[in-house]
Formats: sequence, C-alpha cells, structure tokens
Amino acid sequence: MSIFSFFRSAPRASAVQAKERLQIVMAHERAGRTGPDYLPMLQQELLAVIAKYIDIDQNKVEVKLDRGGDCSTLELNIELPAREAAAKALKESAKLAVAGNRPAAKDGDESDPVKLAAGGALTNGGVKKRR
Amino acid sequence: MGKIIVMTSGKGGVGKTTSSAAFATGLALRGFKTVVIDFDVGLRNLDLIMGCERRVVFDFINVINGEAKLSQALIKDKRIDNLSILPTSQTRDKDALTREGVEKVLNELSKDFDYIVCDSPAGIERGALMALYFADHAVIVTNPEVSSVRDSDRILGVLASRSRRAEQGLEPVTQQLLLTRYDPERVERGEMLKVDDVLEILAIPLLGVIPESQAVLRASNVGMPVILDEASNAGQAYLDAVSRFLGEDVEHRFVTPQKKGLFSRLLRRSA
Ligand SMILES: Nc1ncnc2c1ncn2[C@@H]1O[C@H](COP(=O)(O)OP(=O)(O)OP(=O)(O)O)[C@@H](O)[C@H]1O
Ligand SMILES: [Mg+2]
Repeated sequence: MSIFSFFRSAPRASAVQAKERLQIVMAHERAGRTGPDYLPMLQQELLAVIAKYIDIDQNKVEVKLDRGGDCSTLELNIELPAREAAAKALKESAKLAVAGNRPAAKDGDESDPVKLAAGGALTNGGVKKRR
Repeated sequence: MGKIIVMTSGKGGVGKTTSSAAFATGLALRGFKTVVIDFDVGLRNLDLIMGCERRVVFDFINVINGEAKLSQALIKDKRIDNLSILPTSQTRDKDALTREGVEKVLNELSKDFDYIVCDSPAGIERGALMALYFADHAVIVTNPEVSSVRDSDRILGVLASRSRRAEQGLEPVTQQLLLTRYDPERVERGEMLKVDDVLEILAIPLLGVIPESQAVLRASNVGMPVILDEASNAGQAYLDAVSRFLGEDVEHRFVTPQKKGLFSRLLRRSA
C-alpha cells in the first residue's frame, strides 16, 4: 500500500456513500410504487386548515421535503401577514415530520441531516410521527 | 414451447445488447435452438454485434406488418447452427411495435425455438415494455453505479406490475441480476459498488458478474459475440452465466482483483 492510497482512504469511500444513498431513495420509491403518495394531499389539506384561520399568501409558503432512512420531514414554512405577527419577527414555521416508509439507513448515524431536521421539528413544537 | 428471456435495464448503455448477443450465442452453443430479437426499433445494433449487418433484408417490423414472412426475416448465424437473429427496423419508430403483432411473432417463434432472447431498448416506454411484456425470464443488466441500480429497481417494479404474467396473475417472471462492467480493482479501492451491495439493494438472485473488459470492444469491432472469445474474462464470465441460467452451480469468478506480476503491472495491461 502506497502513501497515496493512505490519503485516498481517509475520507469515507464513495462506494459506501453510493450504497447508503441508494438504500434511502429506493426504499421511498418502492413504497411509493405500491401505496399512494399522500404527501401532496397532506400538504394541501394542512394549508387549507391554516388558511381557515390565517390569511396566508400562497407565494409565501415554502415546502421542503427531505426523505430520510427511517424518518422523513415535511417542512412547511409559512410567512404570516404582518399585522398578526409580532413587531419584527414575521416568520413562524410549522414543521411536520412524517414517518419514513421503510428504515434503510443505519440507526444512530448522528451525521444524518434527516435526523437533525426531525430534531428541529420537535424543538419547533411541530408534530412528529414515527412508525 | 420456447422460453422467452428479456435483457432489460431501464438505463441505457449498460450492456443489454452485448449481453443479449453473448447469452443467445451461449445458449445455442449448449445445443438449444435460440433466436435473439432486437426490440430497439430505430436504433438497430444487434445485427452489428452479431456480425450479420450485411445480410439484413427484412426485419421484425416487416413481419409484424405482414410485409415479410418470419422465415424471410430470420438470419441464420454463420458460426453456430442453432442460432438465428431477428433484426429490427432502422427507419420506423417504436410505435410500430403492437402488442398483437409482437405476440404473433413470439408465438410463431416459440414453436421452433427453445429460447427467444429479447434485447430491450433503454427506458421504460413502449419499446422496453413490449420487450418485457411476454417474458418468462428477465435478466436485469446492471452496472455497479447509482443510476443504473436505481433504474434496475424501476424495471423490477414494471416487471412485477405490467408484464403479461403479472397482468394475468400467472407465476411471476423470474428475475436474475447480471452485473456488467464490474471493475474489481475500483471496488477494492472503495470507488465502485460491490456485488454484495448491489445484491442487497436489488434483492434478486445473481446470474453473473461480467468484468469490465477490453475484449468486449474488440469483439464488437469484428461482429463477434464476446462469448466466442473464450480466452477473455468477459467471454468466460458469460459462459458461466449461461451455465447458471441452465441451473448449474458455477462459482463466481472475476470478482476480486487478479494478482498481477510486477511486469504486467508496469505494462498496465488488462484482458
Ligand atoms: N463488460 C464490458 N466491458 C467493457 N465494455 C463493455 C462491457 N459491456 C458493454 N461494454 C460497452 O458498453 C457500451 C454499451 O454496450 P451495449 O450496447 O451492449 O449496451 P446497451 O445496454 O445495449 O445500450 P442501449 O441502451 O443503448 O441499447 C458498448 O460500447 C460496449 O462495448
Ligand atoms: Mg442495446
């Protein structure tokens, strides 16, 4: 083994990352193939409920989805109209974590951005659901 | 009744045509009457790989349209007795493939042949759907690479829902993985997905691992299926895969880097 291969093997092997990424995305795609994808509906209905109480501008709704191994997050960031919100902090967010369809990634991988997002959902007082 | 095998992948350029030619030739070498059909309408290539491009008069689409008899369109291989090729049209598009037309041709072929190998086009549209619809066996040709693995999974989903066997509630199409263009040295360096990784993800039985090999290009240059280059890694790997397909228990070769002497390492030669 040369000194070069020592340096090369220092970062996580790209093949390992390839496998992990595939496992996560394919777990979702397989689940989506059999069951209906409820996320778009869920998102619409949630917005409808919020719109019942608050006059929201559809252009100021930001929707983010992060599909993770055993936990996915659906994040709705809704900018509230100025008069209803406090003086300068205009932004409030409602976050919802939706249970993953199938655990594919290893548990306890703290660097998993998906888990961090899920943690964020909890501290924001959002709803979190796990299978 | 002949058995219908489809070589399919979703992703383009992974080795379906190379594998169809090799596999059909291998089955014929083992004594089975075999025909290989090009379903890649508009992009005829199987004829070149099989080395019969100068003998094409009529094609698959002519037969479907009743413009030629099946016997007129079939080309008998010059090297192997039991082997025939049904080339496709270069001028029409995949809409020329009707389900009824394809079914009629396959029914007729299955009276005379033991195996019908269908070389699928890439994608999951009409051409690919037609190639897999009537299949009894599917060989999923996959490269150890993320987009190829994902597309293979899509195709497995299509086989499970949109094949004739699925639609009619029959015994499902058998599915086997043919992992091609495998480079054990890159795998060892952690740069390429391992056989086991791909197997774990796709969860189907392994038919064979075909190494990345310069013999494939050489064989295509001269219009000879690579399985006839018995000195090459790729040729031997295809021979093994055919044996496994026929139910024999053959150990996998070419999955670990070959030990190279200093001399060959200096020359950076590979088979
Ligand atoms: N084991 C291998 N080693 C090296 N090169 C290979 C190997 N298998 C296939 N190739 C090369 O890859 C290219 C694509 O192969 P091929 O035409 O068989 O793929 P395909 O899946 O039929 O493509 P398409 O989707 O366009 O029909 C060709 O240039 C071929 O020579
Ligand atoms: Mg091809």
